[in-house]
Amino acid sequence: MKGIVFTEFLDLVEEKFGLMTLDEIIEKSDLPSGGSYTAVGTYEFQEMLQLVTNLSAVTGVSVDDLLMTYGEHFFKVLEKSYPHFLEQYQDPLGLLSSIESHIHVEVRKIYPDAELPKFEVLDLTESTLVMMYRSSRALYKFGLGLMHSTFAYFGEKAEIEAEKIEEDGSVVKFSIHKI
Amino acid sequence: MSDQEIAVLKRALQRERLARKKAESILEQKASELYDTSQELKKSNLALQSLLREKSSELKGVFENLVDAYVVMDLFGNVVKMNEAAEDLLGFRMEEEEVNLMSMAHPSEVDRVIQAFDKLMKEDSVANFEVRIKTLRGESKTVHINASLIRDEQHKPIAAQGIVRDITELMQLQKQKEELLESLGRSNEELSDYAHVVSHDLKSPLRSIDALVTWILDDNKETLDETTLANFDLIKQTLEKMEQLISGILEYASATSMDQKMLAVNVSDLIHGSIQMLHVPPGIQIEVDSGLPQVMCHPTKIQQVFQNLIGNAIKYMDSDAGQIHVGYQERDSHHEFFVKDNGPGIGQEHHQTVFKVFQSVSPKSSSSGVGLSIVKKVIEFHGGKVWLESVPDKGATFFFTLKKDL
Ligand code: HEM
Repeated sequence: MKGIVFTEFLDLVEEKFGLMTLDEIIEKSDLPSGGSYTAVGTYEFQEMLQLVTNLSAVTGVSVDDLLMTYGEHFFKVLEKSYPHFLEQYQDPLGLLSSIESHIHVEVRKIYPDAELPKFEVLDLTESTLVMMYRSSRALYKFGLGLMHSTFAYFGEKAEIEAEKIEEDGSVVKFSIHKI
Repeated sequence: MSDQEIAVLKRALQRERLARKKAESILEQKASELYDTSQELKKSNLALQSLLREKSSELKGVFENLVDAYVVMDLFGNVVKMNEAAEDLLGFRMEEEEVNLMSMAHPSEVDRVIQAFDKLMKEDSVANFEVRIKTLRGESKTVHINASLIRDEQHKPIAAQGIVRDITELMQLQKQKEELLESLGRSNEELSDYAHVVSHDLKSPLRSIDALVTWILDDNKETLDETTLANFDLIKQTLEKMEQLISGILEYASATSMDQKMLAVNVSDLIHGSIQMLHVPPGIQIEVDSGLPQVMCHPTKIQQVFQNLIGNAIKYMDSDAGQIHVGYQERDSHHEFFVKDNGPGIGQEHHQTVFKVFQSVSPKSSSSGVGLSIVKKVIEFHGGKVWLESVPDKGATFFFTLKKDL
């Protein structure tokens, strides 16, 4: 997993819960990196999993909610670091339906070792988008957060339904309705 | 600050420090990767540049060494590039003058040049366009042009190129040739007219002499002795021979007069036609091959040739079982015919001379001595050759050819 996902996560934890909590979850986790991350590095996904799980244990907030919040936050990072990717789109459905065919394709060119999910567009109309999410990391809640922010970015609203096809969340069907 | 807080801060500081080091080493590594990549790029860039230079100098060489004039124009007909041959031909240098196609057209050809340029724009190319131009030095020239449009990658026309060849001299030669042919035709006609006049003028004194001789004979029948009478007879024969010679000249002169058209005719018809005109004595057999071709020729002239050759074979036949064989053999560019007999044959020393005017081999008086010379003239007129092969006492074979594509 790319270092930026860790550094942004740790910053957010420190901001929301304080340095003590941040130190606590790092100390509780068994991290090969020692909890020391740089945005330009690459680390094991396992570390992120431990950090989130321990944060949930310490704060009592569910892992799912944490991931979604982080997704919502992470969009701001994308907005700041990759504005030209987003500027190419006029509406949220156009952007979301292009993650697989364009955005993540470009991401892979910059970071050949990026671990990206698969998004398969099942249906696309003026106001709806149905996509299948697939990833062994089961970060669909993180994706859901990103989607919410995508609509906010365009000043629009949506109802997003996430239906787990696999119990572990590695395959999830997103049904997005613009409202 | 509590000890615990201090410990947490210390740890955080430590993590940040480590992260910074990690980041620095990653950046260090990326920087050196970038350096390597840029070095490689530089190298391949250099290689590409030298390749480009090589190719463009190669092209330049082709362009400059082209013997023919090569001109590139923009889409408005302005000359934008030309090689040395073009500078020589058109009489100006690119660096010194701006020249448009239209200013080079000969005033009388402006319309044709406009049409050709339109065609080039519409149809992409113009081939074998011959036009008169006026060079900037003021000379008039005739040139032959092949031109085509140059298009860019999007297939949009961007320029036109043309190969220009100076055919001024060629055209002059062509014209000279035509004039020469015409005057030749004229003098040929004059000659034949002259032959008619001369033969007529020569024959009338002959006839007068003949008449006078007859009168002298009639008036002095009783007084003349045997020898004188015999001499008078010789005079009469000689006069006759003389008349034949004069007729021969006329025949020879008009042998190739052009008052007849070339036609595709069946040779076997010509041969049978000529045999019908001849008196074939009972002791002589004439065999004509079947499967003779159709040829382009002047029919009556070629019939005359067969009549002459077969006639000669009959005339000189000394065998009681005379055999004359008329045959054919196909050659690459020619038809080859032959007339073979089993007559007395012709000695090697006469093989060339028989075809000359008045060179009769035989002392027989019925020969005017022009027959074979007419044959030769007609055959040569048809782009062919005539020759003979002979074994004395065994017979002779006359061969002749006719060109296929006449
Ligand atoms: C400018 C737009 C975007 C950029 C540059 C971008 C880039 C990235 C990067 C760098 C990662 C991390 C890969 C790794 O850690 O190895 C990632 C992961 C992810 N991205 Fe994007 N992304 C963009 C937009 C989106 C959007 C709009 C979605 C909405 C669903 C999305 C969904 C995800 C998910 C779910 C992951 C987590 C990996 C996983 O599930 O396996 N991305 N993206």
